[in-house]
Amino acid sequence: MVGLSLGETHFIQGGIAQDLRCDGRKRLTYRPISVETGVIPQTNGSARVRMGATDVIASVKAELGKPSLLQPDKGKVSIYIDCSSTAEPAFEGRGGDELAAELSNALQHCLLGGKSGEGAGIDLSSLIVVEGKICWDLYIDGLVVSSDGNLLDALGAAIKAALSNTGIPRVEVAAGTSNDEHPEVDVSDEEFLQFDTSRVPVIVTLTKVGRHYIVDATSEEESQMSSGVSISVNRQGHICGITKRGGVGLDPSIILDMISVAKHVSEQLINKLDSEIASAEADEES
Amino acid sequence: MREIQLPLSQTQKVRLQKALEQLESLSTKVNSDASVIIADSIHVNHEDGVLKGHGTADLNGEVVATLCGVVERVNKLVYVRALRSRYKPEVGDIVIGRVVEVAQKRWRLEINYNQDAVLLLSSMNMPDGVQRRRTAVDELNMRCIFEENDVVCAEVRGFQHDGLHLQARSRKYGKLNRGQLLTVPPYLVKRQKQHFHHLEEFGIDLILGCNGFIWVGEHVEAKDDMIEDQVSQSDSQVLFPNKNCVSLEEQEKNYTILETRKYISRAANAVRVLSTLGFNITLEIIKGIIDLSLSMNLDIHDMLGSEFCVLVAEKEAERRSSMKKRR
Repeated sequence: MVGLSLGETHFIQGGIAQDLRCDGRKRLTYRPISVETGVIPQTNGSARVRMGATDVIASVKAELGKPSLLQPDKGKVSIYIDCSSTAEPAFEGRGGDELAAELSNALQHCLLGGKSGEGAGIDLSSLIVVEGKICWDLYIDGLVVSSDGNLLDALGAAIKAALSNTGIPRVEVAAGTSNDEHPEVDVSDEEFLQFDTSRVPVIVTLTKVGRHYIVDATSEEESQMSSGVSISVNRQGHICGITKRGGVGLDPSIILDMISVAKHVSEQLINKLDSEIASAEADEES
Repeated sequence: MREIQLPLSQTQKVRLQKALEQLESLSTKVNSDASVIIADSIHVNHEDGVLKGHGTADLNGEVVATLCGVVERVNKLVYVRALRSRYKPEVGDIVIGRVVEVAQKRWRLEINYNQDAVLLLSSMNMPDGVQRRRTAVDELNMRCIFEENDVVCAEVRGFQHDGLHLQARSRKYGKLNRGQLLTVPPYLVKRQKQHFHHLEEFGIDLILGCNGFIWVGEHVEAKDDMIEDQVSQSDSQVLFPNKNCVSLEEQEKNYTILETRKYISRAANAVRVLSTLGFNITLEIIKGIIDLSLSMNLDIHDMLGSEFCVLVAEKEAERRSSMKKRR
């Protein structure tokens, strides 16, 4: 973690109080976001997102599996996050495991909905091949390449971009198979189905410093935070998940205010992100 | 500061490439064989006898580089100075460091070197400015002068048996407050006669540390001795006990005023732009970038965008070519 002197601490807090942060941003302004898709050819879909000096990679791999007994009509998705040792000295060895687990849990809450599968950003029913017998299992992996604060937002954006880059092979089920036997399937090498990512939410993290809160906090600003609330909002403006970090408690009215601010910020973020993803896909094709 | 890669559009890529090629053509004529990569051969005059130094090797009677960097020649010594490496101190360098430990009669500072630097209690001026012998009471009060994580400006004194020693024997050295510390690769900061800069029109102080630490902060007046006595005495009695009791309202009154903060952020972003582009960081270029952003009425945050970075590269190419013609 960043060690700061009292003078620097005071300067950062003053910047947030006066709505002029150290790099000139306002409290609700993001750093430049750049998106790159198709960075890992061995995966079904992948993306790289940079927010300032924060750099993350997300990939999606799909394989055929068996649906859960509890939800025979839905596919399965799992999320795993890893922190590269080179991202920060604190991540050396097992140093990044705790943060990685925290990020994984937060992303699962924000993106995958509850146990029933309802509210997931991905339509899990579209992953079914044969109900109760065959479905697609999605494995979403995230890697933190460089860490300069606001990892959760960057990972959320990267996963959204990776999902839009994902191609699921078309599956033909052999006809005439008895209901009791395991169906035979033919996985196509040529045809791919694209995901509908319009319902995948973005994550907006509001970090409280003093009596104000900011979005897209850098490492230095995160070291000054009393608490942070991450809110995932989809395009329809619905809240898909909320997680809280930091040890200081929050007044409920502040949380409600944070939610409305997050909804407002997420509109611009979704539009910005969608245009970046579209241009990244266009760049990849050319 | 971690390296930031610019998200460039197609036209911006072309413009940046053109500007960099122009810059390279300007410098190529003078230093065409200075930069090497691994296994490049280095031209030497074998008859004079050559001392092969760090980063070189003999291969079939030919001197080749084992590092990527710049060839330096000192009399018969030929060595390769790597650019992307930790800071290598030289006596007299102005450096900025962060206190990592308060030990017996000394502070340990992180200055982007292989090991921590040492600042002895006897190597610096006391806050009261009196020239006197250090006592045991001074040792006990060392944390009142610098505590862990403080940012300190000092001068490289030399290598001793227990490591690299710094000194802070002048008014201009010491603790840095009310600003921000930036980290750039050390090779971007050239050694110059002046590393302390006071930008009067902006009201800010700029310290370019040779180790790549750059301080941009609110201007602090160098007070004379008589006033310093009274101020520091009242400060020492009032400030430290109340340090943690300052309320939020009182704290807000002490904040840097917004106008000065804008200039601090603009100067810091100018340094960040130069670091992103890999250009030398000097006062002249920093001022030029600040003036350019002011003349364009550019928002402070937009200075870090791709468009402004490409524009800075183009302006730098113009500036150097015009300087070239002037000679």
